Amino acid sequence: MKELFKKQTEQLRESHFLILYWIAKAENANTKYNITNLFDDLKFAGLTRTKQNAVAYVEALCALCFINLLIEQNRKNLYITRYGAKALELLVKQRLYSTKPSHFLEGTS
Amino acid sequence: MTIGIGGAGSKLSTQLDPATSTIINVSDIELEKFDAHTKLRAVAHSTRAQLRGARKDPSIGRDAFYSVREKLTDIIRNDIVFSSTGGGTGNGLCTELLDYLSGLDSVPIVDKTMFVFVLPYPELEASEFVDNTLQFLEGPVSRAIDAGNTGNLILFSNQQKFLTRLQEDDYNRLMLDSLQEFLVIPEKGARFDHLDGNIDFEDFHLYTAKPYFNHFCRFDFDPGASFEKQLKSNYNNLLLAPEGTIEAMFLLEVPDADQAVAFYDILDYFAKDNVSPTYSVVHNPDIKKPSITVSILYSRKPLELVDDFNVISGKRKRTRVKKSLDQYVTLTKLEIDMTDETRKAAKDVDQDGEEIINVLKRIGKL
Repeated sequence: MKELFKKQTEQLRESHFLILYWIAKAENANTKYNITNLFDDLKFAGLTRTKQNAVAYVEALCALCFINLLIEQNRKNLYITRYGAKALELLVKQRLYSTKPSHFLEGTS
Repeated sequence: MTIGIGGAGSKLSTQLDPATSTIINVSDIELEKFDAHTKLRAVAHSTRAQLRGARKDPSIGRDAFYSVREKLTDIIRNDIVFSSTGGGTGNGLCTELLDYLSGLDSVPIVDKTMFVFVLPYPELEASEFVDNTLQFLEGPVSRAIDAGNTGNLILFSNQQKFLTRLQEDDYNRLMLDSLQEFLVIPEKGARFDHLDGNIDFEDFHLYTAKPYFNHFCRFDFDPGASFEKQLKSNYNNLLLAPEGTIEAMFLLEVPDADQAVAFYDILDYFAKDNVSPTYSVVHNPDIKKPSITVSILYSRKPLELVDDFNVISGKRKRTRVKKSLDQYVTLTKLEIDMTDETRKAAKDVDQDGEEIINVLKRIGKL
């Protein structure tokens, strides 16, 4: 299972890394972070220009059980799972990607 | 009748004979400057070109060609076209005209056109003129020589104008007088008594219908001296020097009929290059010394000329670049210590990473 987890994490790209990072940061700030916020942030970081891409990233992370998508008050809010946290930790240790600011979180904090 | 294309071509054509001259330009204002028999305006798409001419931009002339193509290709038959190679209208229209002729299967000898081009002096004239000329010689002129659908191409150079500091009109007159000396060969043949050979109008037309560069000169001939030396020291310095004779023609005028036999020496000279010239020896009682008009057809020189132009054009460009660097650009030396930079970057990542792991711990996911 450890091997599988390692392989799954190796497949993650910069966008996935940032999504996990922003979701964790939002949770730490007790802020609800939904798909629309995520799409805005990805757009601001220059990583995508279409909402379909943002949704695809989220679906991939959900399928890997790295994030949870909960519909709360008609919003699709995102939460990081324990596996997601471990994956993010692994990526941080591998030093593959550096963080970028979240437009949404910087604006609200 | 002659045709002048662009400003410089119009000047030459109208100066030769305004009563039979047709001039072509993209601007009415430019056309108004000349007194010509027929004026044709080629339609340029930009208003600025219509008002001010092509201003050294051959693309304007090329665009405008299609508006006059039918008329122009009709009137140039069996005629002489004058143009400069450095400007916009002359270069552009002649580029399309030569390419049009090169694209035809063949042109009958009776319809062939003689082209007279004036080349800039690369040392002192604007680099745009030199660049335009380079493209013109490398492109349409080379293709025209290959296709063989034009008559003689005559390449005058502006070099002597600058070296002798002549006024433009005076220099134009000099070029036209020189051209006239060549063009009157069949008239002289008809006017004076023949002593040997013959160049009639038909022979002359056949000769000018050949698609080579034409170099001609006229000088007093000393029958006792070497013809080769006399010819080489009397090359026409208004024209580019010839290289490798393909065909030749000469008219020897002698005041005394006994001097006529001197032409055998001239035939011997050309025979060395396996060239059999068309010639005529006439008795001209109006002159005191024998005089000869020689024309040489050649085709190699333009390649060397393009090389010369390239060298000068390149030299000028390098000078311009150096000047701009001297004037405007100061580059300070940027010193980077890669070890320091790597350490800094690693530290940033470490700090980032540490913060992320702390966040994950705080939210209880790790």
